[in-house]
Amino acid sequence: MANLGIFVTSSKNMAHVMGVTKAAKAKGNDVKVFFTWKGTLLAKDPQFPELCNIAEVAICADSYKKMGYDPENDIPEGLNEKQMSTQAKHGYIIDDCEKYMTL
Amino acid sequence: MKILNVYRSEPSETTKKLVEIVSEGRDSDSFDLNTDSPDYDALVDKVMAADQTICWW
Amino acid sequence: MPKKVMFLLDKSDDEKNTLDALRSTLGLSVANHYAYSVVMNHTLGKFDDYNAENLEWIRDMEGEVYSTEQANVDTNTLTATTLEEVGQKLREMDVIVPYGN
Repeated sequence: MANLGIFVTSSKNMAHVMGVTKAAKAKGNDVKVFFTWKGTLLAKDPQFPELCNIAEVAICADSYKKMGYDPENDIPEGLNEKQMSTQAKHGYIIDDCEKYMTL
Repeated sequence: MKILNVYRSEPSETTKKLVEIVSEGRDSDSFDLNTDSPDYDALVDKVMAADQTICWW
Repeated sequence: MPKKVMFLLDKSDDEKNTLDALRSTLGLSVANHYAYSVVMNHTLGKFDDYNAENLEWIRDMEGEVYSTEQANVDTNTLTATTLEEVGQKLREMDVIVPYGN
């Protein structure tokens, strides 16, 4: 069993994020996902709340704002304000996860 | 050191060159995510077996 | 324990993709990792003060921003490199981030 970190920088990969997360969880691994830049657009994907239920998820609040959303008053379904995070969260994932992917 | 090269799209010449250098003399494996129905179970098994995973564009 | 991380920034239809990746690079520097970027196959406009300061800060934190494009070296003082050298640097990295696209 391992911690798998996933760094999401593209808006095209929600199916991969879900597929990998579900498969990793089914094998007993913990999954931590951090969305940045255009990846934060996926916070509006219909599957995003489900992802938040099965993985530890955070997004870059600054990126989310740059994508046109309000990080204080429009927190994505599935997240709380503490999960509206900074790039430091990516550093934490690199520290904490034995396995790492970018999607 | 075991490297896993994951391809999210058809690899460019830049990607091919970097993969060649990074993988040279090392145990390496690959996985193609650029398919209609990727086998995520198999991908996770490979990620867990690798020391380093590189998810190319 | 600090890790060595390289962001790979390939050609993009939007310069902001690359500039925000530099912000991510700086974020890892601040989080006590050794963070590097390489801008490949595209050229950037002259950095504004914000991005110039990000570059300076990355360097202050023992990171670096490389480019395979001479124009980026001339315009923004990125450090010149070749694709072959990038490949060799990647062999020393703990984490490799092909960014975006």
